[in-house]
Amino acid sequence: MLDGLKVISSVLIVYIFIATGSHVWAGVEEGRRLFVEKGCTECHTTERPARAPTFQEFLKEKGPPLWYAGSKFRKDWLRKWLQAPEPVRPMAYNSIKERNPANHPALDGKEAEAVTEYLASLTTDRVKRGIVKPKKTVRGRIIFEKKLGCYGCHLVRKGKRVVGGLSGPTLVGAGKRLNPDWIYAFLKDQNFFIPYTSMPIYVGIVTDREMRVLSGYVAAME
Amino acid sequence: MWRLWNSIIVLCFLAGLLLTPAMALTVKENYLFYCAPCHGIEGRGDGPNATPTQPVAPRNHRSKKEMSKLSDQDIINVIKFGGRATGISTLMPPYKNTLTEEEIVELKDYLRELCQCRGPE
Repeated sequence: MLDGLKVISSVLIVYIFIATGSHVWAGVEEGRRLFVEKGCTECHTTERPARAPTFQEFLKEKGPPLWYAGSKFRKDWLRKWLQAPEPVRPMAYNSIKERNPANHPALDGKEAEAVTEYLASLTTDRVKRGIVKPKKTVRGRIIFEKKLGCYGCHLVRKGKRVVGGLSGPTLVGAGKRLNPDWIYAFLKDQNFFIPYTSMPIYVGIVTDREMRVLSGYVAAME
Repeated sequence: MWRLWNSIIVLCFLAGLLLTPAMALTVKENYLFYCAPCHGIEGRGDGPNATPTQPVAPRNHRSKKEMSKLSDQDIINVIKFGGRATGISTLMPPYKNTLTEEEIVELKDYLRELCQCRGPE
């Protein structure tokens, strides 16, 4: 009797594992199909380019690369954002003249679910898991505000106000949007992810420990 | 033998092209990419980061009065080490690990062109 129960439960576990896995896989494939069909590839790359674009080629790009989207974004944020996209960048991509036109197409619930599965599957080993935990620390605030002056280019919430510069992506709500370990990996080697960025290289300017503290601070931003 | 040398020269040229750092930009490109977000496309201190919520306004690089107070070395130090290390706003970040020494000197010369001025004698 006990053996029979064991067999049944094992079969059930295997079934659930396969069913769940195949559901996710179907979502990834469906998401990939939708991503192409909806024209997302006109603005976003989903494979790491074989060679770095020239600066002039890079400036023509219309949207951020997404080949590491699964390592960068939180899945639940992606799912919601794809259905109701709000500008992450106050300025249009690669522009300091034009405001973001806020015209990113929206997907319906099912489409967003599939595209989220697809984007979440685009990961890179460069982002190691479990290094950074979101944490609002005084030290993080000092590095962010006093040492590096990050709000010079990024919007942040300060009390009830939103303050800061407009050239970089907003950090308002960064905690809901970004994977803490990606923030750290980006600070460590930003050009691995994006060939050109006006954000200065901070390696050698802040210590590795400070980078982790800073990443945790940004990852806790509301 | 001559053909061999020709092939080697061509290969070296191609390898040089491939190995050329992607970041080798002109001084104007560097200015527009790194400086203009705060200092503005024309250097008037009116880039998109110069919002009313910032504690200080970015320096107007066309201001002869302001820029002539800075020596060439002051300008180089500010670009290299940022505002925090040079006693000005911490909003000016350090570019010593982003730009080469040569690019920083080129930018200093570019700022001198914008202000049409020289530093204190």
